[in-house]
Amino acid sequence: MSQQTQHRHALEIINLSIALPNGVRLLRDVSLKLEPGEVRALVGESGAGKSMIGKTVLGILPDTLKITQGEIILEGQHLNMMTPWTRRKTVAEITALIPQDPLTALNPLRKIGPQIVDPLIRIRGWEKDRARARALELLERVHIRAPERVMQSYPHELSGGMRQRILIAAAFAPSPRLIVADEPTTALDVTVQKEILKLIRELQKETGTAVLFVTHDMGVVAKISQQVTVLFAGKVMEDAPTREVFTNPAHPYTRALIAATPSSADLDRPFSPVPTELIAELHAQVARDDALWQGKKR
Amino acid sequence: MTALFSIRDLHLSFPDRGNKPLFGPAPRIEVLKGLTLDIPEGRITGIVGESGSGKSTFGRVLVRLLDPDSGQVLFDGKDIATLDEEAILPLRRDLQMIFQDPMSSLNPRHRVWRLIAQPLKRYGRGGTKAQATEALARVGLPAAFADRYPHQLSGGQRQRVGIARAIALEPRFILADEIVSGLDVSSQAQVLMLLKQLAEEMGLTVAFISHDLSVIRHLCDNVVVLNHGEIVDAGPVAEVFENPQSEVTRKLLSAIPLPEMDDDWFND
Amino acid sequence: MADVTASPRSRAGQGLNLRLWLPLTWIVILICAAVFAPLVAPQDPLMQDLMMERLPPFFMDGSEPGFWLGTDSLGRDVLSRMIYGARIALFVSVIAATTTCLFGSALGLLAGYYGGWWDRVISRLVDIWMAFPPVLFAVLLVAVMGTGLTSVIAAIALIDWTRFARVIRAETMVQARMDYVDSARIGGARRLATLVTEILPNVLPTIIALLMLEMGIAIIVEAILSFVNLSISSDDPTWGSMIAEGRGAIHFAWWVLLFPLIALFFSVLSFSTLGEGLKKRFDPVLQ
Repeated sequence: MSQQTQHRHALEIINLSIALPNGVRLLRDVSLKLEPGEVRALVGESGAGKSMIGKTVLGILPDTLKITQGEIILEGQHLNMMTPWTRRKTVAEITALIPQDPLTALNPLRKIGPQIVDPLIRIRGWEKDRARARALELLERVHIRAPERVMQSYPHELSGGMRQRILIAAAFAPSPRLIVADEPTTALDVTVQKEILKLIRELQKETGTAVLFVTHDMGVVAKISQQVTVLFAGKVMEDAPTREVFTNPAHPYTRALIAATPSSADLDRPFSPVPTELIAELHAQVARDDALWQGKKR
Repeated sequence: MTALFSIRDLHLSFPDRGNKPLFGPAPRIEVLKGLTLDIPEGRITGIVGESGSGKSTFGRVLVRLLDPDSGQVLFDGKDIATLDEEAILPLRRDLQMIFQDPMSSLNPRHRVWRLIAQPLKRYGRGGTKAQATEALARVGLPAAFADRYPHQLSGGQRQRVGIARAIALEPRFILADEIVSGLDVSSQAQVLMLLKQLAEEMGLTVAFISHDLSVIRHLCDNVVVLNHGEIVDAGPVAEVFENPQSEVTRKLLSAIPLPEMDDDWFND
Repeated sequence: MADVTASPRSRAGQGLNLRLWLPLTWIVILICAAVFAPLVAPQDPLMQDLMMERLPPFFMDGSEPGFWLGTDSLGRDVLSRMIYGARIALFVSVIAATTTCLFGSALGLLAGYYGGWWDRVISRLVDIWMAFPPVLFAVLLVAVMGTGLTSVIAAIALIDWTRFARVIRAETMVQARMDYVDSARIGGARRLATLVTEILPNVLPTIIALLMLEMGIAIIVEAILSFVNLSISSDDPTWGSMIAEGRGAIHFAWWVLLFPLIALFFSVLSFSTLGEGLKKRFDPVLQ
């Protein structure tokens, strides 16, 4: 561990740009900070690049995509300056992932137990007994009855909600200091979604883990996060405390996103699509940015 | 207000292949456990429930993609539950459907205009490219889209094609099965507003299946809440939302994350 | 967003094109050789000349002009026999593979789409059929029907229809579960119409790939049957009989064996590669 005592961000991303091999940028100068113990929502529609940021932090970006510029700093350590091996080790040491699809995230041919315990032995270097005890502790913590039996089950024997709770337990088990949650409730029913969000919130508060929460749902953003980064076409539209975003959104796109999310409580508030003119204008803006950036490169 | 559909004591079960004994038939899982309800003509009726509530199965019985075990499905006074394939065919023109996933419901090998025109041709109502283009115009898509393939469109555009295909036949009833659950919020709102507008213009009866109560609140006149194959709540939308009769409805309502600050949300 | 994905797609397209054009070139050469055999063959393939036996190919000492790939132990020109052999190889492969394909695919489509009794009967038939050792089956068949190309074609069709039936059945079952099938029924299509206009176009690329593969296999089967002298008379030039003859002289006239073997190898490889290439080419989604 580092001996630094000064204040460090859990995660800091500075001017991150990611491009396809042909030079088309998918992420454009994204910067954000995540403090320890904080939940930051990354929100946007499909193609906004929100999942890509999470993947970049975890170092699981597909090989076809290249980081063209920018820095990722995990707890004060610059990932760019490390050798691949140390980077992998550092990322595994600090971070964990709660994936989107609880069905494909668990290996269908292996029992639940080893799927939680093995990473603890591998990453933390714990004894088998200690890792097992920790897994049981976490399974109980996510309200799984008969955790011993669940450890002996195969994924297909459990419901979607159960599997997602197991993945939350697996993510928190190694006591990570940063968790990337990649749309973890998109595949779930609303009532189950609420349970899962509540669990993530509770565990995160108890352990003081920072969470980067990727979602497309402004409703979920309002409930889970303290900070929001709104993305459009790989560009940051707004970066503000959640309370501010919902009481006084600064960017027209943020306002449009909120207005497009149906609210059953407030029927007076018009439920309106994001205006196509706004989308067109934002795209034009992005194109102008890209032209400038191309010019600067030459 | 007359009922377009009257459903009486509808039962449906599927064989449970996972628990099939080595010999003999598989045990059956009851999906719909005696549903009785009316779907009023010219209105949008929301059908809501969690996964496994049987809402999609119920919808598919209405358009007779699935055959019920027992019970009546009276469409305009005629029981369609027991009609065979040949007898149901002429009725199908009035019973249209918009699917959840337009990527898989629009045959990837056909061009957009053919997807829309083919049903028209089958029912002897023409089937020209001009008709298809006209249907596209009604859902707000330019004529140039007629020659594209489904995969060349965005999700929202694809779902518009799905709507165009359904309304081109000028049916009396449309089943909309989770039609916006795969779309981004911006296209979601557009598709919903389009459906509402078309339903009003054409005097359509719509059964709108969704897991999202907020959407139902905005779009529908009536709502039916299903839970494990049974109706737990039904009535005009405002009534059910203001005064839910069952615990299931209350739970569903309180679980919706609304796009506004609510510090107590996790506490109830 | 369209331009974002342009580059990787076009690059995949170029790879695809090469995979498509190389085998296509070889097959076109093969077809030309077969059709214009009397014009392009330098010698009469049946003409024996014991004075000219076992001449080496042109790049070796002792070769004769006009006998580019050498001669066999009866002094017949290897290149000319190969060219005429291509006729038989192509004829068998096209007729046998098409028959097999039509028969097997039809059964696969019916079993996969209608299910129930159709599926049970066809699937059991496939299981039983596959339990027979294929070579024995072919030999038996030729023994009953007599040697000749008709027997060879019948043997291939009767053995290999199960491959089509199995693969197409599985593919049809996948497609039958797609929403567009329900969508067609909602649009007023009868079941058979749904199968032909909706499912078949989506299964077609697989059928074409299999058909191409089968053409390659048919060439091999014909060669094997020629090799064991169960195809047409051994005088007629077939690649299989040339390989069989060349086998005896491999130590001092290896060319008799090697050149037809190379032709066989490239033909089979070309057909299967072309099949894969066409499958991708015909897929509107992948394009």
